[in-house]
Amino acid sequence: MIATPKRSRIPRGLFPVGILLAVMLPLLLMPLAAIFVFAARSGLPGFVAALSSPDAQFALRFSLLIAFLTAFINGILGTYTAYVLSKYRFPGRDALNVVVNLPVAIPTVVVGTSLLLLWGPIGILGQFLVPLGVSPMFMPAGVLLAHLFVTFPYMLGSVKPVLDELEVTYEEAAYTIGANQLQAFRFVVLPALRGGLFSGALLTFAHSLGEFGATVLVSGNLSFRTQTAPLYIFAQFEAGNIEAANAVAAVLAMLSFVLFFALMQFNKSSARA
Amino acid sequence: MHLRERISQINWFVFTSRAALGLIVGALVFYAVEPWLPWNNTARPRTVIVYGFSILGEVMTKGIFPAFQQEWQTRSGEHIEFIVSFAGSGTITNQIVLGVPAQVGILSTELDAKRLVQQNVLRADAWKTLPHNGTLNYTPFVILTRKNNPKQIHDFSDLTRDGIGIVHADPRTSGGALWGILAEYGSAKQLGASDAEAEKQLAGIWHNVVAQASSARGARTQFENGFGDALITYEQEAVYDLKRGKLNDEIIYPRSTIESEHTVVIVDRNIAPADRELVNAFVAFLWSDTAQKIFAEYGFRSVDAKWNTDFVPIEKPFRVSDMGGWDQAKREIVDALWKNKITAASPQ
Repeated sequence: MIATPKRSRIPRGLFPVGILLAVMLPLLLMPLAAIFVFAARSGLPGFVAALSSPDAQFALRFSLLIAFLTAFINGILGTYTAYVLSKYRFPGRDALNVVVNLPVAIPTVVVGTSLLLLWGPIGILGQFLVPLGVSPMFMPAGVLLAHLFVTFPYMLGSVKPVLDELEVTYEEAAYTIGANQLQAFRFVVLPALRGGLFSGALLTFAHSLGEFGATVLVSGNLSFRTQTAPLYIFAQFEAGNIEAANAVAAVLAMLSFVLFFALMQFNKSSARA
Repeated sequence: MHLRERISQINWFVFTSRAALGLIVGALVFYAVEPWLPWNNTARPRTVIVYGFSILGEVMTKGIFPAFQQEWQTRSGEHIEFIVSFAGSGTITNQIVLGVPAQVGILSTELDAKRLVQQNVLRADAWKTLPHNGTLNYTPFVILTRKNNPKQIHDFSDLTRDGIGIVHADPRTSGGALWGILAEYGSAKQLGASDAEAEKQLAGIWHNVVAQASSARGARTQFENGFGDALITYEQEAVYDLKRGKLNDEIIYPRSTIESEHTVVIVDRNIAPADRELVNAFVAFLWSDTAQKIFAEYGFRSVDAKWNTDFVPIEKPFRVSDMGGWDQAKREIVDALWKNKITAASPQ
């Protein structure tokens, strides 16, 4: 045996990769594959039929709509929050910083419960508002409220670190040549944030698309009205219509895969450009 | 020169990948928004919002709703739509209390209707003014076992044996599970056992429960996915599959079992005056010959005996009224025995 000379510091070897695959296979890859294997078993016609049922179509479209709205609204709210928290000093800033990140730590079911106890007919505000005809719960607006709550920290988490790193001097330079605050934000801060905004919006979108715990409580789970795709999957699976559930599950899995593939490509290309 | 070429190549790559991404996102946005665009908004039909307990899914969506839509269309020329949700009876009762827009609720037990009275959703005994005191149909509780009954289960008493795994719905959210508890206790009493012996049977069965689902249908799905040796559930679940040739299990009829009665409630606070006639017409339709025949075809026993010719006779059937009514049964059996004694004591 001749010892090969080491050329690089990066260790080569299939053994660690093998272990990684052996761990990942049952943990991540096989469960995901099961969805597609199961979908393939009923054949393409069965898959298409399951997907094209009106309630499945509604659930998918409604989920996408809510996810787009959530990403858009939280994109703006999250960026604004990040900007204020990063650029301004005020009493209670640290406490507020913790509060806006809370939704990550709170179980989503608790979010649903708390929204019901606020806006629902027996809720703190709801008992006064519902008689006036204002009741977002069990309506599309309630689903949106839940998703805004649950996904709030993702935009913030993507944007704030960039803002914290961003040198104040650039902004100050803008002011010295006569830019107002809005212009400084538009032409100096915003371009630097692009990557963070994009990945934040995508994370928000993806989490909204998959949200279940809060939605199941505040939506009332009505088909053709408030039933999102994850609720549809759960209801159909529990009712024993595994094919119907699985077809939508396969679409959601595929969609998430495409989105994250796009995110990685974007990050790569913006790093290169 | 060389460098400039590379830069333009990279830009081209960035451009196409971003254009592709833009196209994908644009298509997704259009797909999501399309049903809500103005040109799709022409004349939304009127709707009836129905919340039903879990096993009603097929009979309502495939049988009852289309039949009523047709009848209403011929009667008034108007096309109407149903908006529905099916879950455990306890779950939908909680949802109605919390304010979901249900106009009609079909509950698996009168107990849930009484809960709606306690929460000021319904007037006391409001459903008693409906035909048959609000009882839509009924179905006896049976045991499902694996094909050819490998564990030799023939009655509730066999379910207390060691080594038998039972799948049961969760009595906290499922009306079917409450009926199950009454069947497990009451059948022993009907066959002449003492209170202590009946309690022992109930405790023995619950000692063997290996999985609980939030609804009867959820429990059935767990059983079909291979959990456990026996499932205690509505006869309708099994009979419907048997008729379609899709039953993979064995139906075991206990010598004595309870017949569950399912209660219809109208939730007045969710009905606009203009829709009242429509909702009332739908509820009245539920007891029509057309509807009752459909229920029987889907395996529910009709309140009208003339549709019940296809069903297996039960040796000693009983109803909750034979146990003193729901109030007493809930207090003495579900709460005092199952909740406070049996599940509190089981080592989990």
